[in-house]
Amino acid sequence: MLKVLDSAVPVACWSCSVAHNDATLFCPHCSKIQPPPGGDYFSVFGLEPRLNLDLAALEQEFHRLSRRLHPDRFARAGENEKQWSLADTALLNDAYRTLKDPIHRTEYLLKLHGAEIGDEHSGKDRRDPSRVPADLLEEVFELNMQLEEMRMARSAGETDTELQASLEQAKRKFDGLLEDVDKDLRNEWQAWDEGDDVARKAAQNKMVALLDRRRYLSNLVRDVTETLGA
Amino acid sequence: MAYSDKVVDHYNNPRNVGTLDKSSQEVGTGLVGAPECGDVMRLQIRVNPETQVIEEAKFKTFGCGSAIASSSLATEWIKGRTVEDALAIKNTDIVKELSLPPVKIHCSVLAEDAIRAAIGDWKKKNGVAETETAPAEAKA
Repeated sequence: MLKVLDSAVPVACWSCSVAHNDATLFCPHCSKIQPPPGGDYFSVFGLEPRLNLDLAALEQEFHRLSRRLHPDRFARAGENEKQWSLADTALLNDAYRTLKDPIHRTEYLLKLHGAEIGDEHSGKDRRDPSRVPADLLEEVFELNMQLEEMRMARSAGETDTELQASLEQAKRKFDGLLEDVDKDLRNEWQAWDEGDDVARKAAQNKMVALLDRRRYLSNLVRDVTETLGA
Repeated sequence: MAYSDKVVDHYNNPRNVGTLDKSSQEVGTGLVGAPECGDVMRLQIRVNPETQVIEEAKFKTFGCGSAIASSSLATEWIKGRTVEDALAIKNTDIVKELSLPPVKIHCSVLAEDAIRAAIGDWKKKNGVAETETAPAEAKA
């Protein structure tokens, strides 16, 4: 289960018994491999939870840790260490895949802070109209009508060039809106990274709404692209 | 995932698909969407101004089979009811009728929201005050 690491909790190294921060993959004192830490993905890289990340540094650290964790290095180690090298590598891969992608990173951080993202909450009886991008509904509906018309024309063996042009224009528009959302998200990243608890809470709420809007838009762009490309 | 027979029936033979004149005084339009799956649902009602009975209901839904079935069923249920009566329909009624699995409950929520949105639009157009839980008999 996700949890924000409490970095104040020290754990004794299994090998040298010196207490260390639970997040580390290797004991800072004796350099021995440690069992998979219980912290979040950021702490795997020794990072505070942040949204603006230096991706080049993240990649470098990923490669460095991957090499150090490589199971070949533990061929002659004890059974525990062998197992840990596999488990730590799996954790490191998951952490890297999640953090390097801006959207996955944002979703992950929001989940760490208790936000419900995507369809995780769809099973509940939930009504919060603010989550629905209401300003888009009209356009989304119209676009879906056009897409349906386009598909019907297609299956009848017709090509409606006017409709095609209209859909291409719609795609450009929604691509643009997607870019706007990404820009807005980045602004909230900064607000979250630099803000206090109150500012963070506000940024979180905005990001959850932006991610909803983004999902909506990217589904549309996907549908339009599919229909145009069919 | 296997849909229940009722969902399949509504999906294959959706009732009341179509459009009503949005600009008409007697027509209320509700347009709602679910951000998690991108579904969008439009439900329209035509209300008799004398009796406040919903005489016609139309829908158009872009989404999964459960969303289409939920809105199709919703139009069937509200037709012939007064607006206040229609507001009594709960998403759980739709869930029960269609045997929707937990992951599809949001489709029924969407349908209930669409009913409320359409009635809300009609009330706004006709200057009827919003009432939260008025029983049908309370309206003369």
